[in-house]
Amino acid sequence: MQFSLTPTLSPSVRKSITLIYHFAERESKSRYKRSLLGWFWSFLNPLVTVGVYWFIFGAVYRAVPPVTNNGNAENFGLYLFTGLIIWTLFTGLVEGSMDWLSSVSDLRKKIYFPTETALLGGAASNLVQTLLEVAVLVVIMTALSNISWTLVFLPVAMALALGFGLGLGFIVSVLNARYRDVKYLSGILLNVAFFAVPIVYTPELLKKEQIPEIARLFVEWNPVALFIEISRDAAYFLQVPLWNRFLAAVVWSVTTFVIGWVFFRRQSMSISEEP
Amino acid sequence: MTIGAIVVDGVSKRFRLERNRPSSLKEAVLRIARTRHTDEFWVLQNINLDIAPGSFFGLIGHNGSGKSTLLRLMAGIHRPTFGSVEATGRLSALLELGSGFHPDLTGRENVYLNGAMLGISRKQMSASMDDIIEFSGIGDFVDEPVKIYSSGMYVRLGFAVAVNVSPDILLVDEVIAVGDEEFQRRCLKHMDMLRDRGTTIVLVSHNTDLMAECHQVGWLDHGKLVKIGAPGDVVSAYLEMVDSSDNTLHTHNN
Repeated sequence: MQFSLTPTLSPSVRKSITLIYHFAERESKSRYKRSLLGWFWSFLNPLVTVGVYWFIFGAVYRAVPPVTNNGNAENFGLYLFTGLIIWTLFTGLVEGSMDWLSSVSDLRKKIYFPTETALLGGAASNLVQTLLEVAVLVVIMTALSNISWTLVFLPVAMALALGFGLGLGFIVSVLNARYRDVKYLSGILLNVAFFAVPIVYTPELLKKEQIPEIARLFVEWNPVALFIEISRDAAYFLQVPLWNRFLAAVVWSVTTFVIGWVFFRRQSMSISEEP
Repeated sequence: MTIGAIVVDGVSKRFRLERNRPSSLKEAVLRIARTRHTDEFWVLQNINLDIAPGSFFGLIGHNGSGKSTLLRLMAGIHRPTFGSVEATGRLSALLELGSGFHPDLTGRENVYLNGAMLGISRKQMSASMDDIIEFSGIGDFVDEPVKIYSSGMYVRLGFAVAVNVSPDILLVDEVIAVGDEEFQRRCLKHMDMLRDRGTTIVLVSHNTDLMAECHQVGWLDHGKLVKIGAPGDVVSAYLEMVDSSDNTLHTHNN
């Protein structure tokens, strides 16, 4: 009996992987095309972001940052950044998927290829971007010695945000191929949603203020807030996420991804017939 | 199913006409209230075809008879409304000018992209890159974005890719007519070579000389397959029809 170390893949799966790689490469290349510093921007961008938030919320507004595990990294800039990484990943997927699909829709009218590969490739490229941001975060946190094994939950939070964002992306990209309004509408909704998620404020703030119970529940249990909370537990508070909220996050992510995927597979053949 | 075979089984294809489609969300919402009224158009009706592996199949018919749609269904671009189309093996298609090319990418990048769509890795594609560039004869333009290409360059590169990926099935629409005489001859020679190697070729053309080279020819008329058989019979029947409608046109004019 012979065993092969590399799993044998069906030709269609291999074809899809080649295409995903192609689209990911194209997206990554186009991001810093004609720029001198290239990938350096990927590091500079998050660094400046942390710096700005550090300054605005720490020095100007004197926002009180939640206490970290070892008390070393109490900084609102970092608190914000751990949340922002997840938020950027999520919105990048929702908005990106519409662009990724429309960039290949003309091509798809002339040649057959599995359209989802364009979205998966774009998502892979975004994920690389997020990993660079995570690297910046981990370096800063290590320098402040606010680091623990709980960091393993950070990739989990990313994976959950990826599943949820891509699931939504599958749906909005198909709808956007039919009605261009979807892109503008989702842009507005995401702007509003940014404040429905505790990124620039702490969830504790809601308990203090006179806020309707329903709004508080929404802010606490909406999927993106759950993913952000896991990422903060992992990298900022250095604690294990609460199991019930973790479970809710998994359910949100998996369900949305599956629904999006099924919807996309059903509808994507008709993209070649869109005017 | 054997590799290289194409089976078209009871295929019908309906297109919705654009003028009655809602183009914005607002319109779509408003439309729900109104009675639904869409204009439909059957491009193909109940087509049955069985193309054997390694055969050379020709399709003729007037403009708008559904030839290109049938080819697109074989290529998997559209899904049939009814029936099924099965084409097994590596399928390479040259359906329209610059088909499968992304305008912003260079010729070379597009060759890799086309390869990826056929499941051919970058490495494998690199191996045949020189052959492709040479066959296309576009020279240094291969590293320019394809949007600056002339129509001749488009079709030459497209054809070069399509025939150099060792396809089991090759679908060719009338595009090669765009190339110059010399290039057309080279294409035909190459198609002969592929046919000898056992590639199934489906060709749409108005060129009756080319049709004579086919094993079998199908004649499409208003979305229906009216005749299928030896090239001589089908082509002459088709020409007869064209002549007769030509005559009626003249009598009307008189």
